Amino acid sequence: MASNTPRESTKIRLYLLAACLLLWCGGICLRLVYLQIFRYGSFEQRAQRQQQRTVDVSARRGIIYDRAGRELAMSVSVDSAFAVPTEIPDLAGTVSLISRITKSDPHELLARCKAAKTFCWVARKADAETAERIRSMNLRGIYFEKESKRFYPKRELAAQVIGYVGTDDEGLSGIEREYDDQMRGKPGEMLISVDARRKWFGSVEKQPVPGENVVLTIDQQIQYIAERELQAALERTHAESGTVIVENPRTGEILALANRPTFNPNLTREITPEKLKNHAVSDVYEPGSTFKLVTISAALDEKLTTPQEVFDCQMGSIVINGMRIHDSKPHGLLPVSDILAESSDVGSIKIGMRLGDDRFYKYIRAFGFGQQTGIELPGETRGLTKPPNRWSRVSFAAISMGQEIGITPLQLAGLVSTMANDGLWAAPRIVAATTEPQSTPQMIAFHPAEQRRVISALTAAQMRQMMQGVVLHGTGKKALLEGYSSAGKTGTAQKVDPATHAYSHTKYVASFAGFAPINNPVITVAVILDSAVGLHQGGQVSAPVFQRVAQQVLEYLHTPHDVELPLSRQLLLASHRVKEQDVAEGSPDHLGDTLDVAEAAGANPAPGPIQNAAGPSSASAGTAVVPAALRKHDAIPEETPKPPLAANLPSGTATPEHLPASGTVVLDIEQGGIVVPSFTGKGVRAAIEVAQENGLDLDAVGSGLAQWQSPPAGTRVLSGSKVTVKFGR
Amino acid sequence: MAKRVSVDRWLFTVTLLLIFVGLIMVFSASAVLAKERYGSGYFFLLRQLGWATGGLLLMVLAMKIDYRRYKHPAVVFSLLGLTTLTLISVFFLDRAHHTHRWIHWGPLSFQPSEMAKPALILFLAFFLEGRSKAMDDWRNTILPAVVPTLVFIGLIVFQPDLGTAIACAAITACVLFVAGMEMRYLGYGLLASLLPLYFLIFHVAYRRARILAFLNPYSDPQGSGFHIIQSLIAVSTGGITGVGLMEGKQKLFYLPEPHTDFIFAVTAEELGLVGSLMIVLLFAVFLWRGVRTALRTHDMFGRFLAVGITSMIVVQAFINISVVLGLMPTKGIPLPFVSYGGSSLFFALACVGVLLNISKQAE
Repeated sequence: MASNTPRESTKIRLYLLAACLLLWCGGICLRLVYLQIFRYGSFEQRAQRQQQRTVDVSARRGIIYDRAGRELAMSVSVDSAFAVPTEIPDLAGTVSLISRITKSDPHELLARCKAAKTFCWVARKADAETAERIRSMNLRGIYFEKESKRFYPKRELAAQVIGYVGTDDEGLSGIEREYDDQMRGKPGEMLISVDARRKWFGSVEKQPVPGENVVLTIDQQIQYIAERELQAALERTHAESGTVIVENPRTGEILALANRPTFNPNLTREITPEKLKNHAVSDVYEPGSTFKLVTISAALDEKLTTPQEVFDCQMGSIVINGMRIHDSKPHGLLPVSDILAESSDVGSIKIGMRLGDDRFYKYIRAFGFGQQTGIELPGETRGLTKPPNRWSRVSFAAISMGQEIGITPLQLAGLVSTMANDGLWAAPRIVAATTEPQSTPQMIAFHPAEQRRVISALTAAQMRQMMQGVVLHGTGKKALLEGYSSAGKTGTAQKVDPATHAYSHTKYVASFAGFAPINNPVITVAVILDSAVGLHQGGQVSAPVFQRVAQQVLEYLHTPHDVELPLSRQLLLASHRVKEQDVAEGSPDHLGDTLDVAEAAGANPAPGPIQNAAGPSSASAGTAVVPAALRKHDAIPEETPKPPLAANLPSGTATPEHLPASGTVVLDIEQGGIVVPSFTGKGVRAAIEVAQENGLDLDAVGSGLAQWQSPPAGTRVLSGSKVTVKFGR
Repeated sequence: MAKRVSVDRWLFTVTLLLIFVGLIMVFSASAVLAKERYGSGYFFLLRQLGWATGGLLLMVLAMKIDYRRYKHPAVVFSLLGLTTLTLISVFFLDRAHHTHRWIHWGPLSFQPSEMAKPALILFLAFFLEGRSKAMDDWRNTILPAVVPTLVFIGLIVFQPDLGTAIACAAITACVLFVAGMEMRYLGYGLLASLLPLYFLIFHVAYRRARILAFLNPYSDPQGSGFHIIQSLIAVSTGGITGVGLMEGKQKLFYLPEPHTDFIFAVTAEELGLVGSLMIVLLFAVFLWRGVRTALRTHDMFGRFLAVGITSMIVVQAFINISVVLGLMPTKGIPLPFVSYGGSSLFFALACVGVLLNISKQAE
């Protein structure tokens, strides 16, 4: 090409240059077509994955309320600091500054920040001071986001029941864990993006959905009483651990469940497995004498004995299949009621012998031993029961007096509640309901679980009377209340030494389980103290705890007194009542007081109005009352017709202290009682049987088939209430 | 002497169209940014409008001036000298951001490297005009011809602005090629540039990262691959008809310099294949009319000048578009007429004015 004239040569070269550039142009056009038609939109998803990152925004966790709507666990909004490492010029320096404030490991934090380019938490759920210190440094690339943090306003109160949460608000124990799914809610999403200038920006893409609230059956005030008394007992007895359960025997609602040792769920770093343990549901221990309630009630229910039958307790020694068993105290001839009151092992064994293995086992299971109660708490154990085919020849004897069997404190409470509840076993419940995030706790209604009959109402009534004997003249004298009748059973069990597998001579589990008042039981209280130092008998160390708890709780609940108070107390009370009226009239604020009033009530058990005269179940005021259930077997039934239920109940006299502020009473302790069955269509004989089974007093009018009844079927009445049924053809 | 004809209307129209498209796209690409930085969405548009007006006036003026009047040592060498002087002075005047590219003069700022390109073209055309027969003489022709280029490239590389330096080299190569330089010299030149290029690229961290990112953008999508990926996302999002003017998302946060170096990506996203092909087509037409002007000019000075100006515009445009489309590693080169930038637009229009004057006097 250089052969032509320069001018021609440049022309050719110009064409060549143009051709090259046009080729380039063509390449560009092809690339455009490829990108915009064949790869249309295909980079988009890839881009979003890489440029953006979604970070969960935690939802507000549901609140845990006590039965009256008082917050036991709630979530508060706190600051969390996060870093956008790409924006930070001196990452190592920034990280070391922050780790100094938060007292965290700078190397770990730096490694995390390096790994995550767009987003990295540096101080989660910091307290106000820490957040402010970080904020005031004004570091580049450090931002704040509101997160919700769990807060337990009552600190240690019911800590093992409520549980606690981890950093990500995940429930780690107690109700927090059991109801984690419901309370958690759905986290929202925040989109974190980095723009071309490496600036972070985020936007909330999805609003978090708050979790459901949980309403417990626990009553904060009763819980306070139980915890305080348990704490005092531990200090007094130097026991290693202990638990107090307060239950409504009619419904199975747990009103208080206290454990020691305990923890403050706000300070998660100090929590140890030992403190976390909910002894009431996860401890398995040999019950000892409290289990004699099973032995004796089973024998009574099977009509193998009567409370009055006298057994020879052989001066405290018996040989069973070649094994000699000693009583702690020698007894001679004792009626069954005194065998219970004096807690004679020999007498119990002799009664148990009549039952036979299979029948005995049937009752053990019927009372709920060896099975989970189904309470809404994690970590519940079944206890240890062997079927009769694995019993040795002396097993029945051991079990008769509460050895060779493992139960939980909650199962013990269930046993005693069954006696109180006319022979019906009610599954213990600790969660009343879960409610929508917006609703107020007052709007929920408690539906008692189905109850199952273990022993007849008659047997239960006999047991109640005998259990009262334990308190009046037996091993449980320290459980005697002022102004209330009470009943219960003591228990002292040697612990099995885990090293030697033999019974320890130094470590005992002292228990007392009882209820009050006996005619119309309002509460069951079970007290178990593990390894008390010095005095270690249930009647010595646990019965006083029962006494203090039951006394205060009954007065807090304004349960009518059924026993005449000592004169001095009556005078004191009267003066208090006058004062209280003055206060009530003078300042309506009085009603708003909660804890202080309750504690004052505990110290001076006074403010409950005396309703002995009005109380239908305590017609013979002033003496130890004959149980209503027994009275129906007397020749003449009580002449007083039973007034409607509500009038009898503590709710009628309760101040709003333990009621929701709005005044709606839905959750009430006294929703128990007996549901009146339908008698319609039954013959007189059948109707009487049904009535007996239910612990009701039947007033039969006429003959033939039942046509009309009052109160109608489905009504709740007290045990021993009269039901009038008209029969006709 | 060539007979007098009217100016090339195609060239004139294409230039006006590109400026018009440029103004629209500058506004669309920069409105959010301008609002954020300066409080007014029109900030960049108004400035670009000012430069375009001034540039068009200069273009019309240059169109009227006979290009042969530049064929004078006084003009050529004073322009070369002035350019050298300003290129050196930026090292002392502009210390912002570790780069030395701008001379600030009151509210105006000026990029001397933009002046270097026309100065080189003028010098080459002037120097090579009479030497068509001596193109083999490397000592007396080739070497003196490339000395100013090498000086400028050296100065620009250390600003540092590798992109513009490479553009200068490309323009020089185009003119020398058309002037008849033997291919082997081009080959030597290419070989000789490899070593400095190697050092310039692989011993400067950010350039190496860019090259590596070009080869595999996804190795570091948040870092060096960021620009390429974002640009490709913008282009591929456009489809055939685009997402609509002002509707593009990539310019908001992701595209770097959406109104300057990456304005073609914004155009491709918002106007789609139709809009982006139209711009490429306009440059192709510019190429065609520029080459046609060069062909029809028998005066070698005019021909070289026309080749230089045409290649300056077209090569820069194609480099810019290639970068946006991921065909070349990232370079800081604006899209002529379209990208926001006063100096670039001003000198480009002045050059087009000269080219139009040449076209007017072609046969």
